[in-house]
Amino acid sequence: MKIPARLVLALLAGALAGCKPSPTPQPAAGSPAPKLVVFSQCNNAEPYRAAQNAEMARLWAAHPDVQLTIMDAQQDSAKQIGQIETAIRMAPSLLIVAPNERAPLSDVMGKALQAGIPVICLERDIAQPNYTTWIRADNEAIGQLVGQFVVDHLTKKYGQPSGKVVELAGLKGVEAEINRKAGAHEVWKDYPKIEVVTEAVANWLQSTAKDRMTEILSAVPQIDVVYARNDPMAMGAYLAAREQGREQEMIFVGIDGLSGDAGGIEKVRQGILAATFVYPLCVDQAVAIGDRLMRDPSFKPDKVYTMTSRLVTKDSLPR
Amino acid sequence: MKPPGGSWGRTGRLARPFIGLLLVVVLGIVLSPRTARGSLIFLSPGNLTDILMQQGEIGIIALAMTLVIIAGGIDLSVGSVLAFGASLAGLLLVRWTPAVSGPAQVAATIAAVCAAGALLGAVNGVVITGLRLPPFVMTLASMIGVRGLTRWMTGNTNIDFGFDAAPSARFSDLLAQKPLILSVWAVLAVAAHLLLARTVLGRYLRAIGENERAAAFTGLPIKAARLFTYVACGGAAALAGLIHAARSHQGNPNDGVAYELDAIAAVVIGGTALAGGQGTILGTVTGTLVLGVLTNVLRLRMVDSNVELMVKAVIIIIAVWLQRRGRSPASP
Repeated sequence: MKIPARLVLALLAGALAGCKPSPTPQPAAGSPAPKLVVFSQCNNAEPYRAAQNAEMARLWAAHPDVQLTIMDAQQDSAKQIGQIETAIRMAPSLLIVAPNERAPLSDVMGKALQAGIPVICLERDIAQPNYTTWIRADNEAIGQLVGQFVVDHLTKKYGQPSGKVVELAGLKGVEAEINRKAGAHEVWKDYPKIEVVTEAVANWLQSTAKDRMTEILSAVPQIDVVYARNDPMAMGAYLAAREQGREQEMIFVGIDGLSGDAGGIEKVRQGILAATFVYPLCVDQAVAIGDRLMRDPSFKPDKVYTMTSRLVTKDSLPR
Repeated sequence: MKPPGGSWGRTGRLARPFIGLLLVVVLGIVLSPRTARGSLIFLSPGNLTDILMQQGEIGIIALAMTLVIIAGGIDLSVGSVLAFGASLAGLLLVRWTPAVSGPAQVAATIAAVCAAGALLGAVNGVVITGLRLPPFVMTLASMIGVRGLTRWMTGNTNIDFGFDAAPSARFSDLLAQKPLILSVWAVLAVAAHLLLARTVLGRYLRAIGENERAAAFTGLPIKAARLFTYVACGGAAALAGLIHAARSHQGNPNDGVAYELDAIAAVVIGGTALAGGQGTILGTVTGTLVLGVLTNVLRLRMVDSNVELMVKAVIIIIAVWLQRRGRSPASP
């Protein structure tokens, strides 16, 4: 069958023209031009990031004159740089960046600032202070909260702060891993009877954590606490212990405290995790500060805002 | 020679990539959002040169890939070689503290990385021509092996560049400049065009790709000519790796994944036959621009980045289909 080439090209043009932009709230007809807010997200495919996106969309939806666009860099710094370069050309009223990596994103965020665009750096930091404000969560403070929770738990269990702890680490060298560990150890150094029997690296992943924990269980006869540096790893450890019928012997503590069915808060509700510590999404503060930045030219935000964590246990949840 | 059949004729076939480019540019104009002052963002010089800058890495690789494919080969290792080049640059600029001045260290790094890339290309070429391994198999193997080499030599960690006066910062400031990236690409494109269109070697490459057996009977230096294309491809990929490292301010051993597919796509959209023998540099540059403009248009329209991939797929299929229509009716 002969298909005229020109017909195909015409169809293609039509199809492309029909490509819909991502769903964004459209302002009502007759209202002034919408304020464009671009959120450059490093990787949609992580639950924490997906929660950030959802919260971002929900909060900006309350501002009818704001058009939000979320760009997904899919864990690729080069892609995130390209997307931000194009975003700068669109002269948005606000740019929010959750940077994929520290060094690569520094220059392009500087370019946005130079173009007169207010830039909010979300959660992770970058190598140079090329942002209007940085809204961060404090991993070390969270680590300290975990440390204290473990001390309290063991004191309650044995009448004194002593016991055996297994740690499941995220990706080594990453800021969150370093500081979540450091915070807890800072607290434990005052309690010599709290013994970290072993630490295994599970790279933030539930499946890896389950494998590592299975090995640990066969080597360590008595465990009181599993401190996993995120909730999925805590879940993996629980599954491994359950397979061997040892899940009642110890408690499982994680970090992130995401909501939703797969999130840590639900796991606490189900009694799987003894506690999770909310790693703040930082989004509510970003929207509040960003909104003021767009509307009030005289507003000078702080250079850094640090969001605080929250302990979630079964007792703290509404019944 | 294959007959210039089809409804478009020879001129039409050569013009086809340009029609594609024209089409996406028109789309860009039609779909472009406007600035507050009412001008089209797509057509602003800043945006248009952004496209060129962002396509520079793929564009440079695609030039050499064109030579490889015209001579009847393929090089799947370029993405890994790009990561190798970027990581080696990181090692030489950050971990190496020589007793020479900063500019000398930057110059030595650029030279060493290009040479190392050419060497990796030479390994591909020697095995393919010497051991008569299919190019697909050999470069698939080196795609895997070079990735391993790159991860091994960096310990699979990113090497972040410094700022201010550090040699790595100087390097990054220099090679991430838009005019420089555009000039390097342009100069290499002209050189590759002249090589293919005006030199004996260019004629050899076409003849070898068209019919290797006939070329052998004629006594053409098949091995040397083919080896040259792989050396060029390795060197080009490493050079693209230098630009990549400068732009992303780090050497990352895991970057460049699937870049070979983008480069091959640019070549194919540009009208070069994957079977070898036919193709032009002008077409490849056009193909590279088609992909770049398309990405830009979709980003300006804020289309989900996953849709970019689907649209690219459709473009590739149509481009190749249009090419086939231009060939002899008997071809499958």
